[in-house]
Amino acid sequence: MIGFIGLDVGSVSTNIVFLDDEGKVRESVYLRTNGRPIPAVQKGLRQISRLVPLRTVIRGVGATGSGRHLAGIIAGADVIKNEITSHATASSRLVPGVRTVLEIGGQDSKIIVLRDGIVADFAMNTVCAAGTGSFLDQQAARLNVKIEDFGGLSLKASSPVRIAGRCAVFAESDMIHKQQMGYDLPDILAGLCEALVRNYLNNVGKGKDISGPVVFQGGVAANLGMRSAFERALNKEIIVPPNYDVMGAVGAAMLARDYVSRGAPTGFKGFGAAETDFHAGSFECDGCPNCCEVVELSENGAVIARWGDRCGKWSNNVSREKIS
Amino acid sequence: MKVTFPHMGNLWICLDAMLQYLGIETVVPPPSSKKTLNLGSKHSPEFACMPLKLNLGNFMEASERGADTIVMAGGCGPCRFGYYAQVEHIILEDLGYKYSLVVMEPPEKHISELLSRIRYITGNKPWMEVIRGIKFGYRKARAVDRLEMAAMRKRPLEKRAGQTDTALTEALSIIAGSAYGKLDDAIARASEIMDQIPVDRKPVLKIGLVGEIYTLLEPFANLDIERKLGRLGVEVDRSIYLSEWVNDHLFMGLIKGLRSSSLYIKSSAPYMRHFVGGHGQETLGAAVYYNKKGYDGIIQVLPFTCMPEIVAQSILPGFSRDTGMPVMTLIVDEQTGESGYLTRLEAFVDLLAEKGARKEELA
Amino acid sequence: MTIKIGIPRSLLFYNFIPFWKTFFEGIGAEVVTSGRTNKAILQDGLRLSVDEACLPVKVAFGHVEHLKDRADYIFIPRLVSVFPREYICPKFLGFPDMVRQNVRGLPGVIDTSINMYRRERDLYGQFFEIGSRICGNPFKIALAIKKAGEEMKRFTARVESGLRPDRAYGPGSPEETPDRRKNATVAVLGHPYNIYDSFINISLLKRLEDAGINVLTTDNVPEKEVNYYVSSLNKKLFWTLGRRMVGAAYHFLESPGISGIIHVASFACGPDSMTGELIERRARRTGDKPYLSLTLDEHTGEAGIVTRIEAFLDMVGMNRQSARC
Repeated sequence: MIGFIGLDVGSVSTNIVFLDDEGKVRESVYLRTNGRPIPAVQKGLRQISRLVPLRTVIRGVGATGSGRHLAGIIAGADVIKNEITSHATASSRLVPGVRTVLEIGGQDSKIIVLRDGIVADFAMNTVCAAGTGSFLDQQAARLNVKIEDFGGLSLKASSPVRIAGRCAVFAESDMIHKQQMGYDLPDILAGLCEALVRNYLNNVGKGKDISGPVVFQGGVAANLGMRSAFERALNKEIIVPPNYDVMGAVGAAMLARDYVSRGAPTGFKGFGAAETDFHAGSFECDGCPNCCEVVELSENGAVIARWGDRCGKWSNNVSREKIS
Repeated sequence: MKVTFPHMGNLWICLDAMLQYLGIETVVPPPSSKKTLNLGSKHSPEFACMPLKLNLGNFMEASERGADTIVMAGGCGPCRFGYYAQVEHIILEDLGYKYSLVVMEPPEKHISELLSRIRYITGNKPWMEVIRGIKFGYRKARAVDRLEMAAMRKRPLEKRAGQTDTALTEALSIIAGSAYGKLDDAIARASEIMDQIPVDRKPVLKIGLVGEIYTLLEPFANLDIERKLGRLGVEVDRSIYLSEWVNDHLFMGLIKGLRSSSLYIKSSAPYMRHFVGGHGQETLGAAVYYNKKGYDGIIQVLPFTCMPEIVAQSILPGFSRDTGMPVMTLIVDEQTGESGYLTRLEAFVDLLAEKGARKEELA
Repeated sequence: MTIKIGIPRSLLFYNFIPFWKTFFEGIGAEVVTSGRTNKAILQDGLRLSVDEACLPVKVAFGHVEHLKDRADYIFIPRLVSVFPREYICPKFLGFPDMVRQNVRGLPGVIDTSINMYRRERDLYGQFFEIGSRICGNPFKIALAIKKAGEEMKRFTARVESGLRPDRAYGPGSPEETPDRRKNATVAVLGHPYNIYDSFINISLLKRLEDAGINVLTTDNVPEKEVNYYVSSLNKKLFWTLGRRMVGAAYHFLESPGISGIIHVASFACGPDSMTGELIERRARRTGDKPYLSLTLDEHTGEAGIVTRIEAFLDMVGMNRQSARC
């Protein structure tokens, strides 16, 4: 059979999906990036290679996420796309007619407004972690609640507690304050969900025309409490699609599929890329006081890419970044 | 006396020419960099806008190179810029720097105030000489603008990535290094360099940059937005250029007939009926202007906490609703992360491209 | 039927309500004001304004939203300048435009520019214009402006004698000037819409008074005193509120009767980033009075404010004790 691979390399997690010829998600792999994207991508490729059926031909690869350039170079991606476009592509194809995508991941969040299947407007979080999933992770840890149990427990709340805080640190101090006042755990958990939804809607969602169907995706969509808090705040049904946690990778794979369907051969380096010796080093350029941290990626000892320089002195010397 | 001034894009080329022509020793601060911003942010008020922080950093770095006198523009509000010089001076004083401060601004009481400030810098030079020096600087500003405009047109079309920027750097240094009397020749050589950049013919998206002047003119502050967009295949225009600012702020609008803010102010009428300081009203007006000119999208750039631009930002969504023109606002300060910024630009360009493709399908 | 004029309890309400109310009532209109800021008003304000706006502007949006269905006209003048050669903050200049673009279902809007930049008496013509929209009798309008001016004078005199503006005008018996001999007096510096809105500052003034502290604010410092102190600046400040705040701060820093200073500012306030710097640097150079800087935004929590005030009052107490021995 033939299929497509999507890579989404974020700072917290690395997701890899395998799509079949029809564009259906067949396999997905989730890994912690742990600040080391190269091993994460390689490990992911190795794992997915064991999952795909024998004699599969990979016809295209797409990369997205903040580590998309790196991942794209390692795997030989055909398409390197930003997260907004990738997420929008995935949800508009999996949930036809979707008009709003709420996406909350571990370290960032975004909203995408679609009209007739194309992106009409979008925004990403500008304030710190208070609008993202790591906010819930931290508070759950603080309350000794497993993040998997978080959503279920919060649904038992009778009246959610109001928790204030622009940033995670302040929210935490306010939460502790409420805890000391003797509120029930489910009420506090539901209050945290409401605080996150409020921060999200007042920051990322500010001024956006949020109309249904509304899709909620990203890792945080697993949390039932969050889903119900959004439903209460927006007074709308919230759709959480299957594969909600790997939508970026799915979108990237779909975009790769579109790209090669126009007749281009894939640049995929094969699953062997997992065994190639990639090395990322960095040096500080002393050409000007910007002191850019230039990252240099080499494959088997030869430099194949550089980035990070503001002026283009280093990156231009290798090859043009593939942005399609 | 060793005179320095704050950076704002290529403003230094114009000021340096003017002062040097008058025989004044200048110290051009090192280009604004991360170091400049770190220095400036460390000693500035937290909620001051980014230009103030960079100014302060520039002065601290220029002092290391021996500068002892600051020349900068001022104003009479309500934008904070009008009080920059004084606050910066107090901070520098507290830090132990010994700087004299000369602010060029509309006089509070009488024109003689301004003239005596100019005299302080120029000494006994005859006024005719002073005027000639100002003209010289101004002509350089115009030349710089033309080169930048050429670069914005060529970047999306260049055959090899980076060629435009290499050419631009060379062309600018020719203008910067040109002596009085040789400027015409230098301008000719510089524009030839830009003309020779090999380009492809292909359709491009067009984006108009609007917003706060400093962040528009200073590539360090806007994280090289023109270059980034150029590489994404976008032709950029910005609502204001150096020579226009110089005319408005240093010459008190003496030179007539530039594409001036009055055009924008007229266009802004349906959305903003009054000036709000800074370039807030111009931002709205320029958005209306770019819409009329058939641009594909508009990006507003402003420093965090910028008051006039926050007013404009509040009103732009209404403009976008009425006209269907996509507008994105980017806010910069010392916290701005490069990767999130690039993601937004890429996504915005994708949005415009898709929208354009859809329009063609329907047509 | 009487025409109802809605005046939102926000921005320069606290400075000019005596004038505005007397004026509108003088031309035969009924004045309705929005209630004190509460959670619902704040939430609406947050929803309607951009995230980058400062808290007072967000709150003002909420007040407009809560008032729009209760009045025939909403009074949101474009506050350009309330003093010759000076401005208010740019956001005040653009406020009517921001409201028109973002609040749906507005009644009639009176957004005449109040602009005394050129000269003080321009105000007359501006209010005459406002009056003409509602009342056909020019004589009555002129009289209303005159009465409003007198009321304003009375109000200013009472405030400068030490009364808080929110107590110097309006229903309820005027309170006595508190006895400044017994307790410590603390100066609270800040824009009126921040220090008299007890919801957004989480009852700062009440907390101080409950602790037995006398409070004086920026507004209690007479104009003459303010101008004496700001004349030492290298350049005239072009924001009226900023000039008053700096002048008052310098005055308080030199007043022996003031035991401490609290500076209240909104998160990301533009003018305060400059004037606050002038004040704080002067306070640091003088260095003998406890100085607390409070930053307000919609996330300000009670616990944070209480802790800061308590610590500040301890500092004030210790200073007074050490001064005694």
